Amino acid sequence: MIHRIWTAYLVEIIKALRLRSTYLGPLLVILAVLGALFLHPIERDGKSDYAFIAYATPVALDLLGLLLVLVYCAGSISSELSSGTIRLLMVRPLRRWEFLVAKLMLGMTYGAVLTILVAGTSWSLAFFLGELAGVSYGSEVLYTAGEMRNAYLLGMALSLVPQFAVVAYATMLAAFTRNIAGAIGAAIGLWVFLDMVKYPLHINPFLFSSYLETPWSVFANRTEALDASWFPAMGYCALTSFSGGVLFVLVAVRALSRRNLHT
Amino acid sequence: MSVCIKTSHLTKHYGAVVAVHDLSIEVAQGEVLGLLGPNGAGKSTTLHMLAGLAPPTSGAITIFGKDLRRSFLDIVPRMGVLMERPAFYDHLSARKNLLLLSMLSGRNVTVDRALDLVGLVAVASRKVGTLSMGMRQRLGLAQALLTDPELLLLDEPASGLDVESTQEMLDLLRGLADSAGVTIVFASHMLHEVETLCDRVAILKEGRLLACEGAHNLLSYDTSHIEVLLDAPEGAARRLEDQDWVQSVEVKTGRIEVRLCKGTAHQLTAFLVNAGYQVAGVIPRRRALQEYFLKVLNS
Repeated sequence: MIHRIWTAYLVEIIKALRLRSTYLGPLLVILAVLGALFLHPIERDGKSDYAFIAYATPVALDLLGLLLVLVYCAGSISSELSSGTIRLLMVRPLRRWEFLVAKLMLGMTYGAVLTILVAGTSWSLAFFLGELAGVSYGSEVLYTAGEMRNAYLLGMALSLVPQFAVVAYATMLAAFTRNIAGAIGAAIGLWVFLDMVKYPLHINPFLFSSYLETPWSVFANRTEALDASWFPAMGYCALTSFSGGVLFVLVAVRALSRRNLHT
Repeated sequence: MSVCIKTSHLTKHYGAVVAVHDLSIEVAQGEVLGLLGPNGAGKSTTLHMLAGLAPPTSGAITIFGKDLRRSFLDIVPRMGVLMERPAFYDHLSARKNLLLLSMLSGRNVTVDRALDLVGLVAVASRKVGTLSMGMRQRLGLAQALLTDPELLLLDEPASGLDVESTQEMLDLLRGLADSAGVTIVFASHMLHEVETLCDRVAILKEGRLLACEGAHNLLSYDTSHIEVLLDAPEGAARRLEDQDWVQSVEVKTGRIEVRLCKGTAHQLTAFLVNAGYQVAGVIPRRRALQEYFLKVLNS
């Protein structure tokens, strides 16, 4: 089973690497980070370098990156359904849920690549244009460069948790429709709708979308010389993301396994 | 001969529409079964269910002696499937498409041999998006043949092919059945394809199996319907009409078509020769599948 999923994942990676549109997302997030320089210039003042990273990362990832991952994952499955290529795959020794897991892994990989590119670009800019010498208050060093780097790296790793939920959410909606535009539209539309009503309905603590920026919050607070803790916010983030993600995957598996792959 | 496919009371509903109703059929190992029927007869749905692409509403499918749903992973590497209008990854080359599918196939595969079999070696490095419909169809057959399958499920395999390519494909499939003992189930609208290829023909209408006959019986010579080439057709027809063993005679240019009572064919030639006619040929009429098909559909 693991071998089959891994092989299907490799097939998905090869297909994606040969597709030009795959490279659009990485290009856009790099441009977003570069664009952030105009709004948040870096100077050698010992402050603006970390502040730039704390600004550029959520902008590039939680706004643009989220949208790109949603579009990519929803399109990746619904395009197989609409073109009929899924029938080529489903007459091989591969179960439908294994195919979905391979698609989830592809989506996670795509999200991880965007995250790495944003991190790499923003830290490179900060390194060359700033100092990255840690955060000080007066003459007192509050957080060393190593502590800041570690907080960012941990945040980066933890950001994969809500990203899993985003990928699973898009996959679930795509499993219901063979229309690419419909899948992408539903994924974005429902997201926007829930974002609009979650505060009036007081359901925001239960939605993983409320915690997208949580993994970066410790780093962001430290750049402001503020003390910050991972908990309890990161606990809520992990709980809602993981439970939501698993639920979405189960619904997607159920939907796809009952689906007629007929023209 | 052992049974390759067995369906028991197979039924498929799409909402209120009954696509296939209570289909019980057996296909022997090495047999070529043609599914015939008008649009909406349930041919494609039956093939989709056999390929595991559409779960049946009820009933069971056994392939190679195993339940398809439970033993899908054991059965599917031994099957090759070509559905109508096969879709590929247009941004990849024909060879790359097959290589990716071969990675998933879990069996020793022969990409180059499959391409060679369908005559696509010359265009193997071209992107599928640039291939003609006929080439894509042949590529569809190539992917079905990737794993040297023991069972082929084909939906309109010659769709989009020109006359020459259609004949090549039919020859290839017949060869696979004859030499390698491959079992083939295929759906087609083209009676000619079914006539050429099939050992047995199943006729479906509105999801129901109306008839399932050996092609040999259907396409044998009809000795009660004979065409005679002779020198004076009008005179011969007048004389034959008086005979009690003749049902009807029709005069055509340079020939007559005679319908005889059963078991009286031997009398015809003797009668005409004795009457002094110069008989140039006596041809028993071959039953046409089309005739049988229409008869079953209208009955």
